[in-house]
Amino acid sequence: MFSLRGRGLWVAASLSRQHLPSARLSGDCSAPGSPHFDVVVVGGGHAGTEAAAAAARCGSQTLLLTHRVDTIGQMSCNPSFGGIGKGHLMREIDALDGLCSRICDQSGVHYKVLNRRKGPAVWGLRAQIDRKLYKQNMQKEILNTPLLTVQEGAVEDLILTQPEPGHPGRCRVSGVVLDCWGLNQVLHAKHKFYPGRGFTSVVPPPASQAEGPEFDGRYQKKKKKFYLCAVLPNPMDGSAVHAESVILTTGTFLRGTVVIGLETHPAGRLGDQPSIGLAQTLEKLGFVVGRLKTGTPPRIAKESIDFSILNKQTPDDPSVPFSFVNETVWIKPEDQLPCHLTHTNSAVDAIILENLHLNSHVKETASGPRYCPSIESKVLRFPNRVHQVWLEPEGMDSDLIYPQGLSVTLPAELQQKMILCIRGLEKAKMVQPGYGVQYDYLDPRQIEPSLETHLVQRLFFAGQINGTTGYEEAAAQGVIAGVNASLRVSRKPPFIVSRTEGYIGVMIDDLTTQGTSEPYRMFTSRAEFRLSLRPDNADSRLTFRGYEEAGCVSQQRYNRAAWMKSSLEEGISVLKSIEFSSSKWKKLIPQVSISTSRSLPVRALDVLKYEEVDMELLAKAVPDPLKKYTECRELAERLKIEASYESVLLCQQQEIQEVQRDEALQLPEDLDYLSVRDVSLSHEVREKLHFSRPRTVGKPKTTKVKNSNTEEEEMAKQHYGLKKRMKSFD
Amino acid sequence: MWRELRTLAAWGPRSLCTAPGATIFALSSGRGRCGVAVIRTSGPASRQALRSLTAPRALPLARRASLRLLCDPRSGAPLDRALVLWLPGPQSFTGEDCTEFHVHGGPAVVSGVLQALGGVPGLRPAEAGEFTRRAFAHGKLSLPEVEGLADLIHAETEAQRRQALRQLDGELGHLCRSWAETLTKALAYVEAYIDFSEDDSLEEGVLEQADREVRALEVALVSHLQDARRGQRLRSGAHVVVTGPPNAGKSSLVNLLSRKPVSIVSPEPGTTRDVLETPVDLAGFPALLSDTAGLREGVGPVEQEGVRRARERLEQADLVVAVLDASDLASPSSRDFLDTIVAPLAHPDPSGSSPRLLLVLNKSDLLPAEGPHPQPGPHPHLLLSCLTGAGLDGLLGVLKKELAVVCGDPSTGPPLLTRARHHHHLQRCLDSLGHYKGAADLALAAEALRTARRHLTQLTGGGGSKEILDVIFQDFCVGK
Repeated sequence: MFSLRGRGLWVAASLSRQHLPSARLSGDCSAPGSPHFDVVVVGGGHAGTEAAAAAARCGSQTLLLTHRVDTIGQMSCNPSFGGIGKGHLMREIDALDGLCSRICDQSGVHYKVLNRRKGPAVWGLRAQIDRKLYKQNMQKEILNTPLLTVQEGAVEDLILTQPEPGHPGRCRVSGVVLDCWGLNQVLHAKHKFYPGRGFTSVVPPPASQAEGPEFDGRYQKKKKKFYLCAVLPNPMDGSAVHAESVILTTGTFLRGTVVIGLETHPAGRLGDQPSIGLAQTLEKLGFVVGRLKTGTPPRIAKESIDFSILNKQTPDDPSVPFSFVNETVWIKPEDQLPCHLTHTNSAVDAIILENLHLNSHVKETASGPRYCPSIESKVLRFPNRVHQVWLEPEGMDSDLIYPQGLSVTLPAELQQKMILCIRGLEKAKMVQPGYGVQYDYLDPRQIEPSLETHLVQRLFFAGQINGTTGYEEAAAQGVIAGVNASLRVSRKPPFIVSRTEGYIGVMIDDLTTQGTSEPYRMFTSRAEFRLSLRPDNADSRLTFRGYEEAGCVSQQRYNRAAWMKSSLEEGISVLKSIEFSSSKWKKLIPQVSISTSRSLPVRALDVLKYEEVDMELLAKAVPDPLKKYTECRELAERLKIEASYESVLLCQQQEIQEVQRDEALQLPEDLDYLSVRDVSLSHEVREKLHFSRPRTVGKPKTTKVKNSNTEEEEMAKQHYGLKKRMKSFD
Repeated sequence: MWRELRTLAAWGPRSLCTAPGATIFALSSGRGRCGVAVIRTSGPASRQALRSLTAPRALPLARRASLRLLCDPRSGAPLDRALVLWLPGPQSFTGEDCTEFHVHGGPAVVSGVLQALGGVPGLRPAEAGEFTRRAFAHGKLSLPEVEGLADLIHAETEAQRRQALRQLDGELGHLCRSWAETLTKALAYVEAYIDFSEDDSLEEGVLEQADREVRALEVALVSHLQDARRGQRLRSGAHVVVTGPPNAGKSSLVNLLSRKPVSIVSPEPGTTRDVLETPVDLAGFPALLSDTAGLREGVGPVEQEGVRRARERLEQADLVVAVLDASDLASPSSRDFLDTIVAPLAHPDPSGSSPRLLLVLNKSDLLPAEGPHPQPGPHPHLLLSCLTGAGLDGLLGVLKKELAVVCGDPSTGPPLLTRARHHHHLQRCLDSLGHYKGAADLALAAEALRTARRHLTQLTGGGGSKEILDVIFQDFCVGK
């Protein structure tokens, strides 16, 4: 281990030298036995799996490196996906053919759309997920993805070479160094070519166990359909994996520390080793590192809870699937599990307040999320209040209940004591204590909207490493990083989602232009163009671009989105063309009070705007052209939504065009903000620009909106000044 | 829930069209009084703007100067006879559809046209430098021109900053900022309800609180828009009301100022019994001059009605010209007038809503040539003889100063633009609040509030989604 660490340090230290000794740095790519991939993804969490699958979908030979294959697809915190704002991300991930939405449709135990009464633009698709099923389904999906290889291994270091000309960055990543000593085994899947499907990591079982040097029996037992060959590589040669692009999705593992009470011990997740060497390497490379914290609640034994006295929440009937390609979910509403609601009380407050001295996590300076706060911070910030605790099932056959809202880092015995104070939990048994995690993140202003880092070419970051929280946020970044890592290999322009196109764009723009000082979570209120960026239309926003520009979307999905788009357009023009007087409408649909103040004929589209009217009702009144639009339920619903927002969207479109126009004015990537002359920029602003490297003129402008007044003025100055430079650089 | 009972019926087409991507307009020539003023528009609605101001005439030929009568599309009132140019894009300065209105340079005309343009759907006043920006965006500026762009725009930004500062100085600025804060809070409540209410225990009545705030704001905006009629005054003229005790020479003054016999003049007190209005040009400013009945008690019912109307007119005045008989200052009617009318006006209440006052002592020809002149108390005054015209120049000079204050002096800054901007944004803000109340869909309601807030913050500066989130986190305990 020492020799490898030493190498990493040397590499990092040598970067400051003028001439990089390329022969030693670049490694020997053609060395036999040294594996080579287009894209290497480090980490098998929600960001990593999506990144690996996306890169593979784009046609790159991809390697997913993870500490343990059996934790791929693990939901480390809450047993749910989606929610308000997050549901939007799920739909957008799905529109780009990502995995998690489809897998949630196969693994949920309680599907519910939040915000039903508040308007379709803010509906929050959400589901309680069976952890075990999700993991199984995700592993099945990952291990069956063509071009994708999975390997166990801990990445200790990066292999760096001289930078490519024409791109910013001090050096370029060309692979990773594995810590072979820290792990028992490294799995290496054999590729097999399937006609029409390309390469795949699915291999038939070896004729005898003796055929491979070592065999990982775990997967063979669990699923009969796929097998992995385990190859223990030569410890010296196999320690390097060469790659054209590398994606780091380290989650909470970068110098991760788990905290319970006053005890802290290094771990990325309870029971898993943290990544310390990699964190050091990144810091030495010059990345600005920050520290964040998060937490997870204790788990409670299901049979020890008295549900009978608690409020029960039943799932939706019918269930709304996350994925555009699914008509329905795998489980019937009546077979789904309920959630229950209970509340904290003054006894809980008392235990927390009396034991603050035993709670080091709460006192730490690292920033925690304001919106998924620990029960301690809720009690401290809003004393004498009752807080909700949702009791959520962990799975169909799980004996555990996840008390949402009870994230806590008190010593375990006090957690148990606190739980017993809560209604319904008077006899509850705590199975696993809640704990806090503190971890390194890298200031996301150091990455491009493509998620490639400014400092190191072809190195991409996705997920919590960028300061976000949440499965969906991580997964969404994973897709973007995977697609871009692959596009980078094939020297195609990056795939960037604009703020005007999706929540993914809003999130990445917020992160890369403003950074974050607390774990970043998606909200609907972050999106300026919320009425356009709806869960229902994510496919028409992203699927076509994903298909044409990124190549990450399957033909089947593309066809479906294209059919939907043309049907919608046709439907809307038909609805616009049907015009009757309001008195005729009244006769046709007597149950709706159609405004008579207008003497002009009323379009069917305007009638559809009424809350009580849906396509079904309208088609009954005017069956001739409208009947066929009610045959597909999704189409009928989407027509209704389009009608409701029609007038407002017309205006928003103008605004969107304005933003897009600014975004189209690109700034040169290699512009040296520190030395550029003839632009009156203060030193401070130069540094800021040098750090965040806005890609387009639109960027400083959006930043401008959000900055304080003085900053705003400077940003405005810089904005115009840069335009001038930009032109002269042409 | 009560909100669900609302219907979407209130949503008309283009009801929220206030996007900054819209068509912009601005006074492009120098500000202040000049022979010809050029007002420009740029953007897709330019055609619509030109057509609605020049209705019912057809669109003029492209790139040909044509003479047209400009009318306010809402009221139909004629504004000016002007040269108009239709410059369809992309062969225009900005590359977009443009129009130019070459109007007479008077502030009333310019203000009128700007206001009329502000009323055309899809149009909004331009931000400083916006025309140049658009030209640049459409590749209309070549490299040498672009070299100078930064400086140019910097200068314009500076102008905009000064303009905003001037505009936001004092009471109005405070008002706008407090409105914006109210709106931020209301919006934060609605946003918190959207993003957090299902999963966390927000307090009860968050939405109702937002509604209350919005209702209060609406009332404030309405009264402000009705109250601050500075923009309105320029177009229809400032209300100048001539008042005084009977037989002080009010009608003589009106006739003198309007240079025509508007009122019957006689030595008999109480000749004028009704309010007589005449539009005049006073020292370059349009004014509506009102001659009123002399204020006195207890003479016949007709004159009493005249006195009542005179007092009513006084309430509406922007500028009160109080006329007294210089030779008769000691009389009870003069003393009474000084105490009840002049004194309160000379010490206006701090809200600034009371009219300005000009005290004129008429019949100076009756005063002895030598010796101390009579003093009407502590008030500043002017001496005038309607008979000889002595003192008229002095009066006109003072009138000009006073009217400049009332109407906003175009030579001291860009108040015309400021005013149009101000009015535009406040009105749109108010419209959006109306949409908020009419929306059943909370996402639409929030969008209406966002639009309303954007219009206020465009007046005050600052304000992004981060601020809203900050309010949410400050005020609510939210979690998943």
